[in-house]
Amino acid sequence: MDLLAEAMREAIRLITTGDSDVYGITARTLAVTATSTLVAMLIGLPIGFALALMNFPGRRALVTLANAGTGAPPVIAGLAVSIMLWRSGPLGWMGLIYTPAAIVIAQAMIATPIIVAVSAAALMALPPHLRLQLRAMGANDAQYLWLLAREARLSLLIAIIAGFGAVVSEVGASMMVGGNIAGETRLLTTAAVVEVSRGHFGTALAFGFILLALIVAVSVVLTAVQQRARRT
Amino acid sequence: MIADAPALSVRGLRIERGGREVLHLERLNVGATETLAVLGPNGAGKSTLLRSAGLLLPAAEGVVALFGETPRRSRDRVRLRRMTSTVLQEPALLDMSVAANIETALTLHGVERPQRRRRAEEWLDRLDVAHLAGAHAHTLSSGEAQRVSLARAFAVRPRLLLLDEPFTALDPETRSRLVGDVRTLLHEERAAALLATHDQTEAALVAGRVLILLKGEVAQGGGVIDVLHRPATPEVAAFLGYSLLDAALARRLLEEGAQDPAAAGTTARMAAVHPDAVELLDTAAALEHAIRAPVLNVGSAHGSARVIVDVGAPLAASVAVERVVGTDLRAGAAVAIRLDPDGLVWY
Repeated sequence: MDLLAEAMREAIRLITTGDSDVYGITARTLAVTATSTLVAMLIGLPIGFALALMNFPGRRALVTLANAGTGAPPVIAGLAVSIMLWRSGPLGWMGLIYTPAAIVIAQAMIATPIIVAVSAAALMALPPHLRLQLRAMGANDAQYLWLLAREARLSLLIAIIAGFGAVVSEVGASMMVGGNIAGETRLLTTAAVVEVSRGHFGTALAFGFILLALIVAVSVVLTAVQQRARRT
Repeated sequence: MIADAPALSVRGLRIERGGREVLHLERLNVGATETLAVLGPNGAGKSTLLRSAGLLLPAAEGVVALFGETPRRSRDRVRLRRMTSTVLQEPALLDMSVAANIETALTLHGVERPQRRRRAEEWLDRLDVAHLAGAHAHTLSSGEAQRVSLARAFAVRPRLLLLDEPFTALDPETRSRLVGDVRTLLHEERAAALLATHDQTEAALVAGRVLILLKGEVAQGGGVIDVLHRPATPEVAAFLGYSLLDAALARRLLEEGAQDPAAAGTTARMAAVHPDAVELLDTAAALEHAIRAPVLNVGSAHGSARVIVDVGAPLAASVAVERVVGTDLRAGAAVAIRLDPDGLVWY
């Protein structure tokens, strides 16, 4: 209990005194995970729509792959990105290893299958006669997709929340491809790992509290959006 | 688009699903203000025909033209679809208010905002659901939802309505009123319409002409009354609720009832008996010229009781419910019946 109390005090101290290190790490965590989620949305949502609405060879295999991807260990993504971006690796010339960009790539790989699988499931769950009705009403392709997305909006938001949740709480891949360099690629999760290895449990817990607060804050905002969408 | 062209014109249409032919329609025209009922059992291809008419299904073979135009490109199909309206058995309303549902349909049809509101109000009123304008579409009862779905279909001023069993999922009272309302609206709007149904009464009330589909093929087409009274084949007769008897058996039954079997001619091999042509006699009267037969089943059909008796083959009789209530008329009982020769069709 002493440890917990001490950690609380430390967390409050770090936050209230405006420790620039903590703010820097928190801001970077938000920026990196938001970018990863955005990239995963841009790739994942079109694939999710295609899997749900189109029929093409290999569709089932892709759905299975996406479903499997939702449970894939982040370390696998980290490993794959590391190998690609390693200085002597195929994309090593880009010089991205141990940069925030490398973390964004690895995290997007983690979030994309989640967004694909959840958004595809959401659209497939819409009543089939609804799709027929929209076409019958003379919706062109853009109107058709827009109205379907609107019908599935609550579930699509869950897809995005799930993708964000997976990357913001992930540590293995970020550690591997980012290198946990202070002031450059250190995130809340990787910072907590380092503090524990140094025996600074209080500081580690402080990072943990901030991370939790961050996830709760983002969930509150997105849930508010979701519930407002429900009423309209 | 050609002026005065039929609303729908189909030639040599074949639709396949999973490599199996589900609809074959050699030739069909629906006039610009005509209502055609498409009558058939479940799985006969009614929905397939309506979806083809709505340019929503690819054809394996053949041509579907709307208003004299055969669409070649996707954008032509979208443009022609906007001159039609589809109402499905399940009222597929969007997750928004009732008024917004109708305004969304009008938006797809390019109607300007001020007109959208006015037209949504007008049509909700004409279908007696104006009071629901602000309600969320997913809070409606099935009858209310179908009224909104119909309001949405009419509001876009379609030149062809495709009504795919819109009344099937409704309770009898709601259904009856809505059939009446749609009958009036189709008359007032002077639009063409296809009504898919398996209910002959619905077909007769709403449409002037009927097309009977059985197993994906046209079994008979023509004026509603003609088709209902003169089914062209034993299969059509069976679908319409006639009992099929061997011609020899039917002749014998007429003779036993002291009626003239001459109408049968000598070549007929089969007879179809309309349930109204089977009279259930008062056993108390103990009539001499009657056929005695055991009852197989007493069920319900279209507001009356349907008594099936065993005359060597099952024979259905339409009987007023009052004749059944409080009596011993149930499976196993013996009854006396007589056939009305005018209600028989010979094949």
